[in-house]
Amino acid sequence: MKRALILFTILELFFCASTQAVSYADFLVDVIVTYQETDPLLPWQKTTPLGRHGYGTVIKNGHILTTESLVRNHTLIEIRRPGRGKKLKVSPLQIDSQANLAILAPPEDRMTRGLSPVPLASAVSLKDAVRIIQTDENGKVQIGNGKVIQVAVKQLPSSTSQMLSCILLTDLNVGGAGAPVILEDGSLAGLMISYNSSSRTGDMLPCQVLSHFVEDAVNPPYRGFASAGFIWSPLINPAKRRLLNVPDEESGILVLACIPGTGAAESLKPNDVILEWNGFAVDSLGYYKDPHFGRLAFSYLIKGRAEPGDAVSLRIVRDRESMDLDISLSRLLDTDALIPENITGSQPEHLVEGGFVLRELTGRYLRSHGRRWQYALDSRLVHMYLTRRYSPDRPGDRIVILSRVLPDRVNVGYQDTRNVPVRRVNGRKVRNMKDVFRIRGRDGHIERIGLQSMSVDLVLNARLLEEANERIARIYGLRSLVHRHE
Amino acid sequence: MKLFVTIQRPDYFVPWQNNELFSGSGSGFIIDGKKILTNAHVVSDARFIQVQKQGDSRRYMATVTFAAHDCDLAVLSVRDDSFFDNTHPARFAGTMPGLNEEVTVIGYPRGGLRLSITKGVVSRMDYAIYSHSSRDHHLVLQVDAAINAGNSGGPVVFDDKVIGLAFQVLTHAENIGYAIPLPVLSRFLADIEDGTYHGYPELGAAFMNTRNPALRADMRLPSADGGVAVYYLDPFGSGTGVLKPGDVLMSVDGYPIASDGSIEFNNNRMLFAELLERKQIGDTVDFNVHRGEAQMDITVPLKTSRDPYAYRNIYDKQPEYYIFGGLVFSPLTRPYLRALNPDAGDRNEQQLIYYSEYAKLDGLYKGRDEFVVLTARLPHKVNAYADGFLNGIVSKVNNRPVRRLQDVKTAAENHNGPYHTVEFIGMEDMFVMDAGDARRAEAEILSDYGVPSPANFEDNQ
Repeated sequence: MKRALILFTILELFFCASTQAVSYADFLVDVIVTYQETDPLLPWQKTTPLGRHGYGTVIKNGHILTTESLVRNHTLIEIRRPGRGKKLKVSPLQIDSQANLAILAPPEDRMTRGLSPVPLASAVSLKDAVRIIQTDENGKVQIGNGKVIQVAVKQLPSSTSQMLSCILLTDLNVGGAGAPVILEDGSLAGLMISYNSSSRTGDMLPCQVLSHFVEDAVNPPYRGFASAGFIWSPLINPAKRRLLNVPDEESGILVLACIPGTGAAESLKPNDVILEWNGFAVDSLGYYKDPHFGRLAFSYLIKGRAEPGDAVSLRIVRDRESMDLDISLSRLLDTDALIPENITGSQPEHLVEGGFVLRELTGRYLRSHGRRWQYALDSRLVHMYLTRRYSPDRPGDRIVILSRVLPDRVNVGYQDTRNVPVRRVNGRKVRNMKDVFRIRGRDGHIERIGLQSMSVDLVLNARLLEEANERIARIYGLRSLVHRHE
Repeated sequence: MKLFVTIQRPDYFVPWQNNELFSGSGSGFIIDGKKILTNAHVVSDARFIQVQKQGDSRRYMATVTFAAHDCDLAVLSVRDDSFFDNTHPARFAGTMPGLNEEVTVIGYPRGGLRLSITKGVVSRMDYAIYSHSSRDHHLVLQVDAAINAGNSGGPVVFDDKVIGLAFQVLTHAENIGYAIPLPVLSRFLADIEDGTYHGYPELGAAFMNTRNPALRADMRLPSADGGVAVYYLDPFGSGTGVLKPGDVLMSVDGYPIASDGSIEFNNNRMLFAELLERKQIGDTVDFNVHRGEAQMDITVPLKTSRDPYAYRNIYDKQPEYYIFGGLVFSPLTRPYLRALNPDAGDRNEQQLIYYSEYAKLDGLYKGRDEFVVLTARLPHKVNAYADGFLNGIVSKVNNRPVRRLQDVKTAAENHNGPYHTVEFIGMEDMFVMDAGDARRAEAEILSDYGVPSPANFEDNQ
């Protein structure tokens, strides 16, 4: 009798689980994206339009949460309910490439009325059992089981910044970005952002990151995730610890440099040793004991347990003395770097004058010179990228380059010039393309370019420029000679 | 004749040691004064050289009297005078043959004990890089006769007279062989007449063409064509201090310079730099220069260039190094870069590439006599945690600026503080080592790793 009862309970549980499964279709949508990238070498044109497919998850207010890398460079985003044919065009409400997250706001429609939101889980932890939801080729909802086997702060695939993420071990091949991961209580544990079918593991952005993003996105202005604003290294060399007078063997990381314009630059100095961050002891490798996750990289205290603008109290050693100080956290974007990565491939600011193509150096531009770009490109540019890319001398500084010369009779003699940093335009120093646009706006044209380490300027005939620009645009198929942000 | 050479090159990674021995062979020929002319690359880093005449069974020991690595030429002498019995020196032609004239290449291609003769025509006279130094450009005679390894040093003959010396080939091309032509041979032989090889003078002026009419107007050039604009002067060149950036060179020794840098010389159009090829140190070169609005004649005295940043290949020298605390410091050299084969994706190794290529143009050399690099670590607990600094360029040791390798030694030995610190260019972090521990570990490290001496400094530094 007792055995029968147990069997019955199990059956009921099973039944419950399967009714739950039916409702998965109510918050899962297919996301179909058409995207087009800017040609990395010819910035005035776009590459062939291509498509991507992934998943979106319906959350409160009928918003749909998905990954930024799925909707990157979209020309059209559509959603579709699993197994149905009808597609609905949607637009993004907020996109954050650092967190690899996007919120889509679907219009009022019969399709959206049939959807019901899933609540965000309050936390996900190591060893949590989860379900991964996706659709199979027939449009049927497929449910896989998984387990959280690692929680760490690391650089996300398809992003340049570090975020909290989980590694899941699954019994299902996950195809398509953004597949929702559900806890046993039916709440959203996270979104899948990558999957490796040979190890059957994948990266999941956990609900802690999702809720940070969602709360921020629905309460504008969007503030994003905070950054440290300084470059540091572990402090493990005992001789160096004694030199800096850091007595405790286990604690402290070394500040190497601060990024201008950040809160860190106002308070911290190179050679400061950070012992405590907001009351948490930071060990010599940069880890702390998180109350929820246990040992974790201290950058989670910045990205996960704080917001841009927050003041944080630090205990440091400076000039061999212990002291306390406060720093205010900043949000650092890719565009704050001396050489931005431009991982999203947004159209770079550029200007074509007399066939001179002026633009700013980006990681994407460098990488577009082939797999062995470090060897293929001028060592000067590669050196700037490897040693200085995060740290402009002043906020807003960039490396302006003469990336190429489109041959025309106005620029004979200069046509072999490629990828050289530009120091002066019309005799005035330039720090970024904004300066170039300002000088051109004031002078009406660019007739003189000073290249790094060259004491003779490249000179163009100002009177011939208007006609030459028109001719160059026609011959080389330039839609416009200028692309300027804002 | 044939040369048998045993070569051993130093190991720039382990600078107190040498690489495996290998045997090479080459060709050579007798010139006036009981001397043998061959390529420098045949006899560089040679430990033992023998020569054997065609038709003679005996081998004679030879020694290098002069080696000019910048133009890949060397003169050998043989102590046993009987070697020169029944020989007569090669005669040099007075002028170069024209294009399409048939020439003969004589030597011992791919080894072999019997003389080999190949024929071809003069394909062109060119100005190309000499791969032995991998840095210097000189005139070359291009022939379509087969030239192979072992031909090196052998004569190229036209009308029974020597017009060149076979030395290199263009790979991935067909029938393009190069010989060192008469002008380079005679300049070399004239250079060593006083018993010393002085080398080529370097003008050291980087210039751009003046084809663009807007540039010409901006520089107030009077004519519609001609002249090159100097945009940079190499501080180690002869032109520095005499020419100025922004000068437009209108003519050289009376030959008008076209706006692409070429001159008309002996009915040939060639680069004006090729005219300087024929000059010796101590000679002068005359330029007509457009400066500002004025036209002026300027004479540039040609000086020896002692340029530590030229990054030529180095031969016949042992690498310099200095070791303290198990850290191996060496000057940046081309052989080191070759041994390292830098990974351009690695921050420190890529920095070496950039510094070697842009040392002068970007002014990176300022404040230094050479770039001193942390090339290796002999692992020991005193120098643990130094790995991230490998291949960094040293800026300071114990807070003293490092201009050259010797400064590392001075700073390390004359230091009383409790810690040694080493700072690097472009790195915010510095390396710290306990000075007492380092001193106590010194002998142990050297003996553990079999290092015969903690330092090697070449005398001529």
